[in-house]
Amino acid sequence: MPTTPIVTQAFRDLAILNVAKRGMPNLRITFTPHPVAAKTPAQLHAYVEGNDPVSGKPMMKEIVEALTVPLRADEEKTGLVEVSVGPVKYGPDTAKNLQQFYHDNAMTDFLPILIPTEEEVGEMLEGTSHPPDEVVGKMAGGAYPPWSYTVKQVAINAVMAGCKPEYFPTVLAIASSGTPSLMSSTNSFAYAAVINGPIRDKLNMNYGIGALGPFAQPNAAIGRAWTLVSRNLANGGVPGDTYMGSQGNNLNYNNLIIAENEAASPWVPLHVQKGFKAEENVVSLFRGLGIVPGQGARGTSTDTPKYEEQFSDLFSVFTGFFGGLVVADPLIAANLKERGYDTKDKLIDWLYKNTTQTVKDYKSRDFAYGFDYPRALKGLEPYKTWYAMPDDAVIPRWPHRDDINVVVLGGQTNAFFQGGSLSYTVSVSIDKWT
Amino acid sequence: MNRRTLLSLLGASPALLASRPAETEQAPSPAKATKAAAPSPKVEGLNPKGTPPPIQLIPMARRLDSLNGKTVWLVDTGFEGGGMLLEQMRLWFNQNMPTVNVIFRRKAGPYMEDDPVLWKEIKDKGDAAIMAVGH
Repeated sequence: MPTTPIVTQAFRDLAILNVAKRGMPNLRITFTPHPVAAKTPAQLHAYVEGNDPVSGKPMMKEIVEALTVPLRADEEKTGLVEVSVGPVKYGPDTAKNLQQFYHDNAMTDFLPILIPTEEEVGEMLEGTSHPPDEVVGKMAGGAYPPWSYTVKQVAINAVMAGCKPEYFPTVLAIASSGTPSLMSSTNSFAYAAVINGPIRDKLNMNYGIGALGPFAQPNAAIGRAWTLVSRNLANGGVPGDTYMGSQGNNLNYNNLIIAENEAASPWVPLHVQKGFKAEENVVSLFRGLGIVPGQGARGTSTDTPKYEEQFSDLFSVFTGFFGGLVVADPLIAANLKERGYDTKDKLIDWLYKNTTQTVKDYKSRDFAYGFDYPRALKGLEPYKTWYAMPDDAVIPRWPHRDDINVVVLGGQTNAFFQGGSLSYTVSVSIDKWT
Repeated sequence: MNRRTLLSLLGASPALLASRPAETEQAPSPAKATKAAAPSPKVEGLNPKGTPPPIQLIPMARRLDSLNGKTVWLVDTGFEGGGMLLEQMRLWFNQNMPTVNVIFRRKAGPYMEDDPVLWKEIKDKGDAAIMAVGH
């Protein structure tokens, strides 16, 4: 059936590339001025009566012609088109020139990389028992069909990121999840990886003082590798094509790598909560908008430090569309345990019941309109019930209790905590990739 | 953390701990520093990109001779403002091409979810479709 899409001008390149990658490179697209949201009927009427800002033709005339003008030969083509990503190797050239070549072709994060020579990649491959040509998985950078990649292709990116061979199984585990750390959304997403198990000590990961800072090679390089994997193996993070985040996110450089401080935690580690054994090595991935710090450690005073209330206060400014990730220093975890929260689940129960919002506030959020409202229309709960409630009704911040997770991290120099607007997505075995 | 490591954090040489200066810690002499640099060796770097899938070309559907007397579906994908824009298009058709039968429908689910039930309904009952808005 003749069909034509209407796209706003800001998404011109994305629309043209998207239809080409999906097999209709000549699809007739009509563009409107941007944005369409938050416009009055009169303003939108002017759009309709005006011109397509890309072609300069009257918009409605263009739409009618898109549906009625006979097809050209190139619009009726069929067949399979192979897509090339260039030669297997670059050079020979100096390391300095090659470095610039990788930058100029957007294959880096624009910080210096280690040139992935055959020798370096060969050493990286020693970090796993899996053969170089084994397919690790598929990953989609943006709203496109996913790309696939092998162990060797992942190794090339791990070298570029500065990984040691012993880090490689963790990078492979992340890559095998098919989860990119660069999301195409117009929101500027952030990603986190929680690493559990003995491998944290084997790799000398930092889960103590400054654990989220630039103070340990495995934390830094594994996180950076995730971004390069997303960039190069999935073609993610191409502004205007596979990346549309309006402001971008600084966490995308090397993501939040959280090696949980299991020894100092009074609770079971995250991977055990997700069904793994304590002695297994596991990476659990999170996706969302970012992480923000709590407002100081009231627990250092003589007052009763009700950390759960502080967590709840922090999450009250977040959209409930993404999960809540509590990242608590061991001092806080110990205090909470002393006060009766002897499991993470008890803390999660409290947070779910006591972190609330009004229906009016809930409905006002962009994510609710774009995602939850359509689900309410389809009859899915709790959205259907929430949308039927009066504006002043009080509802939970998150749709489900399982949207909340807790990890313990830090060096106990301060009863510090941070809250992530981050949803748990998947846990992957690292051991499988050793 | 041992004393040697602590001193390194201060930027001090571990040689401070030695009974006398360690010659190996001294800076190179000016004569050594001005020695002509050797030409940089050349290396090859591997392509870090993954493997994209081939593209299956899909022919566009045959166009209509005219929209007169035809049923055109206006499909709201769910992005904010798209429905209002399509309402203005509906009004435009009513005013400028009144013989076109226009039907408005918001697709089910969030924008990224497929709606095969609606696609079938449009194929069964319609002649053409306009989808908005890609924002």
